Amino acid sequence: MSGERGGRGRGGKKDDKDKKGGDRPRGGGFFRRRRVCKFCADKIDYINYKDVRLLTPFIPERGKIQPRRISGTCAKHQRALQTAISRARQLALIPYVTE
Amino acid sequence: MSHTRQYELVYIVSPEASEPAVAELHTQVEQIVQRFNGTLDKTENWGRRKLAYEIGKAREGTYVVETISGSGELVKEIDRRLRVTDTIIRHLIVRVDEDLRVADRLRSERKATQARRRTARGLPPEPLPSERRGDRDDMDTDDLGLEPEVQR
Repeated sequence: MSGERGGRGRGGKKDDKDKKGGDRPRGGGFFRRRRVCKFCADKIDYINYKDVRLLTPFIPERGKIQPRRISGTCAKHQRALQTAISRARQLALIPYVTE
Repeated sequence: MSHTRQYELVYIVSPEASEPAVAELHTQVEQIVQRFNGTLDKTENWGRRKLAYEIGKAREGTYVVETISGSGELVKEIDRRLRVTDTIIRHLIVRVDEDLRVADRLRSERKATQARRRTARGLPPEPLPSERRGDRDDMDTDDLGLEPEVQR
């Protein structure tokens, strides 16, 4: 899939700070993903560790917790998510590792 | 002497234990709660469930969730008892009252603001669950290199 972008992005270093603030509209067919914290959007105040269905989207195949930069979760909810996931892991609802 | 706090207790009973044995464990917990002047608010039996990983030799277990109000000493005793009970392969006690209180407060605050805004705007701002961008290809292209002329 590197062919898609080949001509344009050459030499442009990736810039994470820009990625975050870059929600202003620009012409040129390039758009930024909107990154919305799922818990803020769905108004989940308490991340229940027993709710496996809620937690699984944040656990990729390997079993690790998806980082914030990918999932878009806000800091506050990522922290809560962390505890919820560790509790669910203790209760064998979610694996620690998957091979 | 001590404050009443709300706790959530989850324990996993070994798959070898029979139904009455599970019920027996429940009454044991109940007795401890009563002895320490606590209250057992809610009990949920999830039934047999597959474990995400093996605990000892067990691949599945019976999950029981109990909501208990009581003192710290009560929980300490329950914790000790569950620890020494062989049929219980795993247990977890979490204090929930503070978290729930925070959640409650947030919810009511949000409701208040929402109501205020709704009356101001005159439209029902029932927000949709926002779309989660989940496709990985998108991410890959991002990593390939962004144009440097972003700010303009």
